[in-house]
Amino acid sequence: MSSSSGHGAAVASRGPIEWPAALQPQVTDILSRYPTRQAAVMPLLWLAQDTWAWLDLDVMRLVARTIDVPASQVHAVASFYTMFKKAPTGKYLFQVCHTLSCALVGAEKIVAHLERVLELDAHGNSKDGLFTLMRVECLASCGSAPMMQVNDHFYERLTPESCDQIIAGLRSGKPLAVPRPEVNEWTFPVS
Amino acid sequence: MDFPRILSGNWEVPDSHTLAVARACGTYTRVEMALKKPPAELIQIVKDSGLRGRGGAGFPTGMKWSFVPGPEKRGNKPVYLLCNADESEPGTFKDRYCMWKDPHLMIEGMIIAAHAIGCKVGYIYIRGEFRYIYDRLWEAVHEARAAGLLGRNILGTGVDFELHVHLGAGAYICGEETALISSLEGEKGQPKLKPPFPAVEGAWRCPTIVNNVETLAAVPWIIENGAAAYKAIGTEKSPGTKLFSCSGHIRRPGVYEIPLGYPMKDLLEIECGGLLPGRTLKAVIPGGSSVPVMTPAEVYACNMDYESIQTVAGSYLGSGGFIVMDDTTDLVDALTNLLRFYAHESCGQCTPCREGCGWMYHILCRVRDNCATAADLVTLKDLADNIHSKTICFFGASAAMPVQSFLLKFKGEFLARIEAASMGIPAGAIIANPEQRVGHPVAPSVAGA
Amino acid sequence: MPKVKINDIEVDVPAGTNMIEAAATAGVEIPHYCYHPNLSIAGNCRMCLVDIVGGRAPEIACNMVAREGLAIRTDTPNVKKMRQSVMEFLLVNHPLDCPICDQSGECRLQDYYMDHGDYDSRGVEEKVSKQKRQDIGDKIVLDAERCVQCSRCVRFGDEVTGTGDLRLMNRSDHTEIGMFPGERLTHHYQGNLADICPVGALTNKDFRFQRRVWYLRETASVCNGCATGCNVQVCHQEGEVFRYLPRRNDAVNKSWMCDHGRDLVPGIAGLERVLRSRVDGCSVDTEAALGALTTRLKSAKSVGVVLGSQATNEANWALLQLVRKNLPGARLYAATGNDPGSVEYADTLLVDADKNPNNAGLALLASLDGRVGSTAELGSALGSLDLLVVLEDDVIGRLKGHGRPAALAYFGVSKNATSAAADVLIPVCHTVEMDGSYVNRQGRVQRIRRAVNAAGDAVPAWLVLERLGGKLGHAPGTGMVAAAFNAMAKAVPAMKGMDFKALGDAGLQLATDVPEVAAPDVPASPGATA
Repeated sequence: MSSSSGHGAAVASRGPIEWPAALQPQVTDILSRYPTRQAAVMPLLWLAQDTWAWLDLDVMRLVARTIDVPASQVHAVASFYTMFKKAPTGKYLFQVCHTLSCALVGAEKIVAHLERVLELDAHGNSKDGLFTLMRVECLASCGSAPMMQVNDHFYERLTPESCDQIIAGLRSGKPLAVPRPEVNEWTFPVS
Repeated sequence: MDFPRILSGNWEVPDSHTLAVARACGTYTRVEMALKKPPAELIQIVKDSGLRGRGGAGFPTGMKWSFVPGPEKRGNKPVYLLCNADESEPGTFKDRYCMWKDPHLMIEGMIIAAHAIGCKVGYIYIRGEFRYIYDRLWEAVHEARAAGLLGRNILGTGVDFELHVHLGAGAYICGEETALISSLEGEKGQPKLKPPFPAVEGAWRCPTIVNNVETLAAVPWIIENGAAAYKAIGTEKSPGTKLFSCSGHIRRPGVYEIPLGYPMKDLLEIECGGLLPGRTLKAVIPGGSSVPVMTPAEVYACNMDYESIQTVAGSYLGSGGFIVMDDTTDLVDALTNLLRFYAHESCGQCTPCREGCGWMYHILCRVRDNCATAADLVTLKDLADNIHSKTICFFGASAAMPVQSFLLKFKGEFLARIEAASMGIPAGAIIANPEQRVGHPVAPSVAGA
Repeated sequence: MPKVKINDIEVDVPAGTNMIEAAATAGVEIPHYCYHPNLSIAGNCRMCLVDIVGGRAPEIACNMVAREGLAIRTDTPNVKKMRQSVMEFLLVNHPLDCPICDQSGECRLQDYYMDHGDYDSRGVEEKVSKQKRQDIGDKIVLDAERCVQCSRCVRFGDEVTGTGDLRLMNRSDHTEIGMFPGERLTHHYQGNLADICPVGALTNKDFRFQRRVWYLRETASVCNGCATGCNVQVCHQEGEVFRYLPRRNDAVNKSWMCDHGRDLVPGIAGLERVLRSRVDGCSVDTEAALGALTTRLKSAKSVGVVLGSQATNEANWALLQLVRKNLPGARLYAATGNDPGSVEYADTLLVDADKNPNNAGLALLASLDGRVGSTAELGSALGSLDLLVVLEDDVIGRLKGHGRPAALAYFGVSKNATSAAADVLIPVCHTVEMDGSYVNRQGRVQRIRRAVNAAGDAVPAWLVLERLGGKLGHAPGTGMVAAAFNAMAKAVPAMKGMDFKALGDAGLQLATDVPEVAAPDVPASPGATA
């Protein structure tokens, strides 16, 4: 695991933790949606990741206790899905799609550009702890490629220039402009 | 071309995702119609309409519904309806817009489907990367519940249907219906052995129907207009309209709703706006990354329906992910890119797929980098054959078919790399124009023109 | 009983039988890794793919239930190629460390490679590396690189011990078997994990590097660790026992046994054997010891005789006959309860609170004789006896604080308080050194078999007791263990019709319920699992 880079970095073991009282109603609501407690593992891992930034072993133990399954089960589930963070990341996680449709229209150029301007270490984290860059597989935004996901949102039809604007915006501390995807916004005007 | 836009009709309407606008567009009027009908009649209508699953396999939807055991057979076991919104097949991005632009249409379809199969609790399984849509879906569910369209005693009909949204967390395989069920149950998203089939024993060992977003979104129109009206669109065996996600080297990438049976050439040249200036067509993947690739000759001879694509090109309509590659594409690199995807996404359960996808990817990397021999190509083909249909789910075949078809239809490009390797030509040097690498951009140079 | 065909061989199999088992009844072996008869079906290894006659695609035999008219083929070129390719896939990321792998010789990768692989290697890519030599439990070492991801151990933890400790983490070719970081196995069935692991990923610490398995011979017997009577294979070489392996018997222990049973291997248990006969502190040969005992039995006024719940049925029967025919005045006792130092726990799976292998057999024989006293009665009579004859039980250790008999004769396997106190001590065989039978807690009569030669001067207890009977005047004279058993079976109604040979490997159920056995109260260990 990469060390304490970026936002939400936690010590390797903080000891047993509990859900904050404010989250109890959410935990109860999640458990009520499914016929078994085990089925709540993914929504609870999401909730935990939102709360503690990433899933260290104590967080996994908490989820296991909450749904009454062996901790190994939670670990297996967390390890299977790529979006569950088993290591801390920067405050802004850039996930650039590099699967075929994006690759066909320049995903590699976007990755190269981001690598250059973000000044990343070997783990893909920027020195200021703000950014982490990852290559990911298809995010189902092939018609607006190349694209990346920044935290929960998609930024599409990327160019090096638009990447620069996104980074500048995030560095300036202004709230992230949330894109509202529209259908069929074409890169090339109809001739 | 005159046809009703069954699925995307409301997408351009401002605020189409809100209940008020959706209702103004007529959404949920079909719920009232459907809940008055006996379930068997609903199943019959959908059967008669010829609607086929839009997730990729094209299985007749009405028939799938009819596999759910009746109350006398299933005892007190509940029935579950799961909406497959995992949309993970590379090249496919239609469900994203269905849910973002018109979530109520899909929910309406789910209410009707739930009534048809006797289901009281349903889940929408949406991929983790669609978190912003997940929030919108919950808003839509809450709105619908507040309006008495979900929950107990829907619109006073005595029908109950509760709907939850479940967020995935990054795993392609969860689009496979039994893997989706495993994931929902709180397991790793690994496909389950069949038999038993989900319709008999699925989620929590109860009868379960898994339908794609687009499939469910088509149901209200069919209920309103009847099976015959739906069958009148498209072809005899592939009725109705379908959403096609078009990407790659085309002028107007995007999602297009067209009737099935529409000429592929027209989709490429009219909807997609044709190729970029000065380019010629090299290859098309017609139905998402898993289906066999097609040559230009096949593209021009083929229609967008299940049968034509299979007959003409030995490929599949799949999920309708239409990926266009022009003459600048390095197909060796393109296939390597796809195999990296499959090697990364194999669930790791069955031996051939778990070990074979990574192995094929590594061989392809060597082919791409001019470090392979002709024997490697033989091995590659053999590995694909040894994976195809030897695994629990269709993933193995999905990884094998691109390899088999690229090697069959574009053998020359692969042999050129072998020759380059034998001549000691270093990686990347065989292509005169480095822009031809998949990994290199083509768009900006054209956009600037 | 559906009728199915395997390679044109027609067999009738019970409804619900899968095709791996159906093929086995037809004498056709279908290779497999993930399938295990006592675990749920996983269907992931793909080694058991077969062709279905008239079918479109190959299917796995393990998940194929026999149905009338089903016909499969395992001898087609397609099946041969599928098996070969599965072997190739399994080995492409498998380390080439057979020379230093303790599974060598009983590894399904090796065995099936010879039977079904045999290809020229095409694997030139880098192998995926994983964690090696992980200490995950008191009994088990894990090497994740050798794992074939069959998930047997995962299912064992989920379905048998209920501990859910092992999991396949990650995905794709990085799938890796493991525990939650920092956790260790806690249950008492760890040895089974090494047994069911078809490769060298999970190996048993006690057996690792002790002996190459191809040197070992196996003898089918029964564990003497408790009243459950798990069926075992005693694995031995040149007189030394190296391990017990569970032997499948679905009526008793399925395919499992507990770690305590495995720990009873003499070398592991550090058993101190009684090796020589002794009379009044002097080593003598057994003949002389029997002579001395004969003299003392004839002169003693009050004699007590203790039947043993660790002794075989044949030994207890011989002793019972000896008393009936030669010592009409002697008082018989049945020693029940655990010897001091027994492992004190039980669970609901296999481990019984009663640590004696033959308490039920003892109770059965004792019930035939109305005057057999209990352990408590023995305790109160102890001080008044002129001579006490004890078969295998540590009576003196157990009845501490009670009186002492004037003289003590002990037929014992290992050293304990009773052997130390014995005036006449005669060594008898350990369970792995003799043939005989036990009755387990469910009333199943099961055979033990001689695996190795007796240590020291030990002889089977039944035989030495027959010799003692001869010296006293009346010998049963059966001479052979089978004859001894058959003579007993003829006299014991619950064993009516039983024959020693017919006990076979699986044992036979008593005709009547087992008489009530006084079982000791033993607290369940916290580590024990349901």
